[in-house]
Amino acid sequence: MSSGILLGTVIALVALGLTIIFGVMDIVNFAHGEFLMLGMYTGLLTAQATGMDPLFTLPVAGAVGFLLGVLCYTGFVKYLLRGPVVAQLLGTFGLMLFLRNLALLIFGSEDRALHHGILVGKSFDVGMGIILPATKLAAALLSVVAFLAVWLLMTRSKTGKALRATALNAQAARYMGIPTEKMNALAWGIGGSSVTVAGALIVNFWSVNPFVGLLFTMIAFAVVALGGFGSVQGAFFAGLVVGIIMELPGIWDFFTYTFDFEWMANVPMTSLKYMWVYLAYFVIMVVRPRGLFGWKQ
Amino acid sequence: MEAIRNALDFKDFPRIDLIVAGFVAAFLLAFPLFPHSSFAMVTMIQFFIFSVYGMGWNTIGGYGGQVDLGKAQYVGIGAYTTSVLLIRWDIPFWVSMPIGMAIAVIWSFVIGYPLFRLKGHYFAIATIATSLVLKDLFTIWPFVGAARGLEISPVKYPPPDFLRLIFKDDVYYYYIIFAFFVLGVLYMNWFRKSRLGFQLRCIKDNEDVAKSLGINVHWAKIKTYAIATAFVSMVGSFHACYIKNIEPDDVMSLDLSILIALMAMLGGAGSLWGPIIGAGILIPLKSYLKEWLGATAGLVGIDLILYSVIIMLISAVEPRGIWGVVEKARRRKRR
Repeated sequence: MSSGILLGTVIALVALGLTIIFGVMDIVNFAHGEFLMLGMYTGLLTAQATGMDPLFTLPVAGAVGFLLGVLCYTGFVKYLLRGPVVAQLLGTFGLMLFLRNLALLIFGSEDRALHHGILVGKSFDVGMGIILPATKLAAALLSVVAFLAVWLLMTRSKTGKALRATALNAQAARYMGIPTEKMNALAWGIGGSSVTVAGALIVNFWSVNPFVGLLFTMIAFAVVALGGFGSVQGAFFAGLVVGIIMELPGIWDFFTYTFDFEWMANVPMTSLKYMWVYLAYFVIMVVRPRGLFGWKQ
Repeated sequence: MEAIRNALDFKDFPRIDLIVAGFVAAFLLAFPLFPHSSFAMVTMIQFFIFSVYGMGWNTIGGYGGQVDLGKAQYVGIGAYTTSVLLIRWDIPFWVSMPIGMAIAVIWSFVIGYPLFRLKGHYFAIATIATSLVLKDLFTIWPFVGAARGLEISPVKYPPPDFLRLIFKDDVYYYYIIFAFFVLGVLYMNWFRKSRLGFQLRCIKDNEDVAKSLGINVHWAKIKTYAIATAFVSMVGSFHACYIKNIEPDDVMSLDLSILIALMAMLGGAGSLWGPIIGAGILIPLKSYLKEWLGATAGLVGIDLILYSVIIMLISAVEPRGIWGVVEKARRRKRR
């Protein structure tokens, strides 16, 4: 349960990027998980090359993500926006295949993981049998910080206001003198950097290979659907919920062993871990398409 | 009778289309007679398989404008039904294929009813989610072989076995899938002139207008979804007999769903020839790129990089596909 909440905060950060991009320009980014994968590689390689602790590689990952996001927007997504929905979906899917296979070509297909750093292998015993791994705890705290930073940027600053105006009505925003093209690029930049930062955090306790992206893309979709497309606070709470859903097998095991139910032991819950996320997505979309906090229909 | 006459009537196409189509059909019919490598044969069969998948997708995605990215689950249902029935109870292909189609269509009604309350992006992602849920379930279900999948052993049945569709020579498979392909074209030719076809195009253009004209939008979409499903599941059954080894990661993957949608879109969604053109370009390209760059040059992933660049270019530059370009050129000429 507690590790679900810790994971949930990181997932919320992953979903934040997606929800900003979707909110501002109504485009679903299939390549989102691939951004995360690149963030993971950036964190890993910077940490290994410089010998720094992986937690200090976040600025590098953020910068890479920002550049990547802006580049993707100005070089490619800008042209997609003119086309129909099919073209947008397939276009970002193409981007996803491109980034994934580029990573495969450069980094190879084997799993890589971090084995050093001040926090790896340590853990806190909170009592009542709850043990928190230090890497996850640090990742959770830092994601909350990053999340707050983006949230403040979106709600308190002038740029954030312009971004939200573009999201509400791009044409009206243009008449008000807001450079909407720049705002779109900025949204991709912020979205990209928040997700790569999340990637650099995740790599502390999750091994990376070029194929991790799709899983996180789908999880992020589920989070964004639950929280409401385009809603920033929604993404945070939904992230926590989805984190707990992903930890359901652990709870299931707990019940199985505590009460010794035989039929429960026969259900392979761990392999169904992600199915619950997809199922939750489906049910939420059908029952309440706006999500919990959404304002876009 | 009326329906059959409509299906065979291609008169509303310009003459040049029909001449080209006739040449292509003659070539496809005679292809096994020419000297060819077995690799080319496999590619041609793949082309047929994917063009029928693409036609199925084209009903709902092209004429109806609903972006469905979950077609792989129906490939899986068809393929698994055929394999399970053949392996466990020795039921021949020609019986198990309609059973698979029936199961797939029932399943499509079950999930289609809630699915079509959604629109646009939401619909597309929800179809992906349903497909992945089904794939995860099949991965842990011991009855269908779980993650290892099922294998039809050709040793038990002496080929050529026309009832169970077990052959040594690919030529048999070629002509059977060719027959399916022709049936598919004829059905699509009827479909685009049918009542449902016109209703769908109206829904695609403007759903509110369609509703105000008295079209039951929700029901029309569900019906079309079931038609698309029947197409895909039919060829899924064939695929099981042809490949003889199916795994959930293979027949139910998201990549397959996307590839199906891509076929129709590259060729031109919402036109009769679109999926065929798309499959005719993409499948040879994909398999030869893999052969030359992936296997020969030893560069892992570079074939998929080129392939993804093509996807990106199409969707950014010409989202209406190749047939869209042709039609645009024609319209300009007429003016």
